[in-house]
Amino acid sequence: MTAVAAAVAPPKSKGIKKRVWPSYVAMGLFAIFFLFPVAIMVIGSLKADEVVIRDQTSLAAFNPSPFEAGSNYASAADTGNYFTSLRVSMIVSTVIVIGGMFVNSLFGYALARLKFKGQRFLLGLVVALIIIPFEALAVPLLLMMSEIQWTDTLRAQFLPFIAQPLYIYLFYSFFKGLPKELEEAAMIDGAGPYRTFFSVVFPLARPAYASAAILTFLYSWGQFLWPVMVARSAEVRPLPLGLTFFRGVPPVQWADLMAFATMMVLPVVIVFILFQRHFIEGVAGSGLKG
Amino acid sequence: MSHAPRKFSRLLAILFAFTLLAAACGGDDGDGEGAGSEEGSGSEEGSGSEEAAGGDAAAPCDGNIDGPVTLTLTSHGSGDAYTGAVADFNAGPGTELGVTVELIDLGEAGYEDFIVAAAASGDLPDIIDMDGPFLYNFAWNGFVQPLGNCVPDGSLDDFLPSIISQGTYNGELYSLGAFDSGMGIWAKRSVLEANDIRIPETSEDAWTVDEFDTILRTLQDSGISSPLDIKWFYGAGEWRPYGFAPIIQSAGGDIINRSDFQSAEGALNGPEAVAAMTTFQTWAQDGLLDLEAVDDTPFIEGDVPLSWVGHWMYGAYKEALGDDLVLVPLPDFGTGSKAGMGSWNYAMATGDADPDAVWAFIEFVTSPEQVKIIADAESAVPALRSVLAADPTFQPGGDRYLYVLNLEAAPDIAFPRPATPAYGAIRDAFSDALADIVAGADVQETLDKAVAEIDADIAANDGYPTQ
Amino acid sequence: MTAPAATTGDLEPSSPEPQSRERESRFSAGIIFSLPAALLLTLFMVIPFGFALVLSFTNRKLLSPLATRWVGFDNYVDVLTDSGFWGAIKNNLVFSIVTVPVQSALALLLAILVNQKLRGSVFFRVVYFLPITFSLSAASIIWLVLLNPSGMVNTVLEVFTFGAFSPDWLNNPTYTMAAVILVSLWASVGFQMVILLAALQDVPRVLYEAASVDGASAWGQFRNVTLPGIRHQLFFVITITMILSFRLFDQVWILPPRPGGPVDATNTIMVELVDTGFGAGQVGKGSAIAVLFFLLVLFLTIFQRRFEPKDL
Repeated sequence: MTAVAAAVAPPKSKGIKKRVWPSYVAMGLFAIFFLFPVAIMVIGSLKADEVVIRDQTSLAAFNPSPFEAGSNYASAADTGNYFTSLRVSMIVSTVIVIGGMFVNSLFGYALARLKFKGQRFLLGLVVALIIIPFEALAVPLLLMMSEIQWTDTLRAQFLPFIAQPLYIYLFYSFFKGLPKELEEAAMIDGAGPYRTFFSVVFPLARPAYASAAILTFLYSWGQFLWPVMVARSAEVRPLPLGLTFFRGVPPVQWADLMAFATMMVLPVVIVFILFQRHFIEGVAGSGLKG
Repeated sequence: MSHAPRKFSRLLAILFAFTLLAAACGGDDGDGEGAGSEEGSGSEEGSGSEEAAGGDAAAPCDGNIDGPVTLTLTSHGSGDAYTGAVADFNAGPGTELGVTVELIDLGEAGYEDFIVAAAASGDLPDIIDMDGPFLYNFAWNGFVQPLGNCVPDGSLDDFLPSIISQGTYNGELYSLGAFDSGMGIWAKRSVLEANDIRIPETSEDAWTVDEFDTILRTLQDSGISSPLDIKWFYGAGEWRPYGFAPIIQSAGGDIINRSDFQSAEGALNGPEAVAAMTTFQTWAQDGLLDLEAVDDTPFIEGDVPLSWVGHWMYGAYKEALGDDLVLVPLPDFGTGSKAGMGSWNYAMATGDADPDAVWAFIEFVTSPEQVKIIADAESAVPALRSVLAADPTFQPGGDRYLYVLNLEAAPDIAFPRPATPAYGAIRDAFSDALADIVAGADVQETLDKAVAEIDADIAANDGYPTQ
Repeated sequence: MTAPAATTGDLEPSSPEPQSRERESRFSAGIIFSLPAALLLTLFMVIPFGFALVLSFTNRKLLSPLATRWVGFDNYVDVLTDSGFWGAIKNNLVFSIVTVPVQSALALLLAILVNQKLRGSVFFRVVYFLPITFSLSAASIIWLVLLNPSGMVNTVLEVFTFGAFSPDWLNNPTYTMAAVILVSLWASVGFQMVILLAALQDVPRVLYEAASVDGASAWGQFRNVTLPGIRHQLFFVITITMILSFRLFDQVWILPPRPGGPVDATNTIMVELVDTGFGAGQVGKGSAIAVLFFLLVLFLTIFQRRFEPKDL
């Protein structure tokens, strides 16, 4: 996986040098395509509500005037309940990521290395469960949550997503592929399975953890379908739902909405830019095991 | 299928096991037990407790409020009038009676879903504020209970009849509101006069559909690209049936057959409805309707001279246009001009809150002083004749006299939304159909599909049998 | 709130294990390591899945004063004879047929572009990946502005077509799916790009050198070295894009004037599922849709396993 970032010296033939310009033009055009919506969002969040749409017909779209950033962001925070939603999203994502890393890797390790009754059955079950998309479970799960009066709670939003068959399987394959010698050496030194796992295996498995953590985070942060079904009151609306609720009150205050969107993506974008290599490697890691 | 019930109870046993496990896992508020009993009543015997409360009008009130009571109230808005009413109640009669009301603001978006979700999780507020037609579904489901003997004799005399009929389901009064609604077209008088357009003052005198068609085209020819603002940006939800079902009703159709509320066949997809909707579609396609507005500015800034909307815009429009503002009835599509009616109102949730305390609050918010404050804040028609009589804009010659005339002529002009638990399905089907028609879909096909959706919902609920 | 973590809190190596009891401890550790995840999987996947199967044969509502009863295959018959459901399948297929090749090809193009070790290629890589960090809901909200009839998309189109082409993307059913596809492409192509980029970098450099010694053209190198070298990941990208495309929900819920609209132009299986099982509260019928959806995904997965490229 680390190969993604590994620098390979470019072959220095003349033919390649000639093709540099077209590549830059292509890359530049694509960069514009990917960046201009981001620019519209950020600039839209800075100006008056009524000109966000109106200015789209000219370059005025990129001019933050009349400048009303203060009231836009204040409205996103107050009327849009941004900080409540941020808190919900952070709690839900954190529990899913950390809880998920924990239970999925332990289970993956047990399936790969420890011997116990029913192991093969459980492995088969995990593989079978991979193909069940969450969406196919949403309706009965909603009924269950409603019967136990868990709708409109935070736990209804994270508990179903902690154990993930796909990541259990990823961890299983990863641990299966590790050389056994280190663990055997630890065992000979008298370490039990717990200490072996936490002091020998865990450090080796960092790339697998990073990959699973980043993918899990991106998924849980963007969750929409399930919150639409179980989250109602402002106190339990994660960011994506908070954003759409905020839009749901006509007339749409476009600049306020763009301010909410900006604040919503900003934390992730900052983390992404700081750790972009890990992000990209983490996502790339998912492709290695189909 | 003979052993089916046994299988189902096994399923419930699994569910129950899940309940216990899950509650043990993360339950911090010990709601496992409540879930168990809820489940039994919900799925096996219908609704045991709810039925007892909903089906029998036996005296909920005993005239006493036992000890200090705190009541929760959900609200669709947090305007000063609403928070003010709650504060005034808590400071005044509430203090005397030992009743405190706590306001939970839900906003209008997703309001109905919230109540349904709250009911599903046994977490209903004590007083529910809801838009008129939700009442019938809530009452059918047993979320709310009749006011019964809580209402002292004679205390309803001052209410508009439309408020009483909106709050009545299955012969019982469930709810009361502080205001009713009014529907029409707000127009810029100077533009109409400049184009020699007749200004009708009563619904009997309304523009005919052909006349209105000509008016729109005249205005368009005069250089106004889309002369009719229809608040399309309100999106799906209550606005579309409220604002546009009167077109179909005026043409002679309806959104449901009101004889037994079992089908929309023939009403929503009959030739009258299809013709009226086809006209509306033509207006959309010819650009006569302003579908691109994203807020209220086109009419306020004078870019658009006609605004098809309810009473709630009166305040803002009056401020912007002053004496140039005039209210005209919706056009007559064949059987006379119609208008929407009904609005938000308060009902007593099923539950263990003291009914006398709940009534004390409902009585307070529908008292003349509060009705005046709330109706003014909403620019709405006050629910009480005494308050209405004191406002010159509702008197002959006043800006909003047309609303009063229409409501007095209900159900011939102001047309109530259907009093059926299927209303939610009717609203969604109509709302989607209207959007599709505006987007250019085949009118007959679209309305047939809406009818199929409505009928399927009614069938799925066994025709919504009265409990 | 972190209940599952609490159950496993006592996993710390508390007592040193004597070597003779190693097998036993491995056995008990196996159970303990497996327990939290297995329990959660049972509660939140196995039981709900069983539930979906059972409920799909009942008329169960989310909430109703009426009793629940068995209805046999009625729900399945209802769903499978409903033109709305087939319309949704058709929309999913259209989305899939366009998105899978276009998005995979674009991802490959982007990956090849940023894989050239040019100055600044890291910047471009970051830019193309950036939308992945936006959730689909935020992306959809931003594009609502751009796709407005007088939005930036039309402003640009009017310049290039001299005003001849500027449709109302979201309200005209002819174009809404195209708009949804565009937004999806913007929001997620970076994901596929990164996977293919990793694959490209794993192709042994010597193979390219050998090919260029043999005088292969750039196209020849691409066909004979690059494509075979990344076939596993390319196949993975294609199948994952296909499966994800059948889960299309966020964009079609947010972008059109009504979810799945206008005129059902963007109605998908997921919209049908949520509308039925949640919106209309018809849990029984919604479960039937869920089961059918599962069968579809199962079919796609079997298809994937069948045609996965084998190692040479």
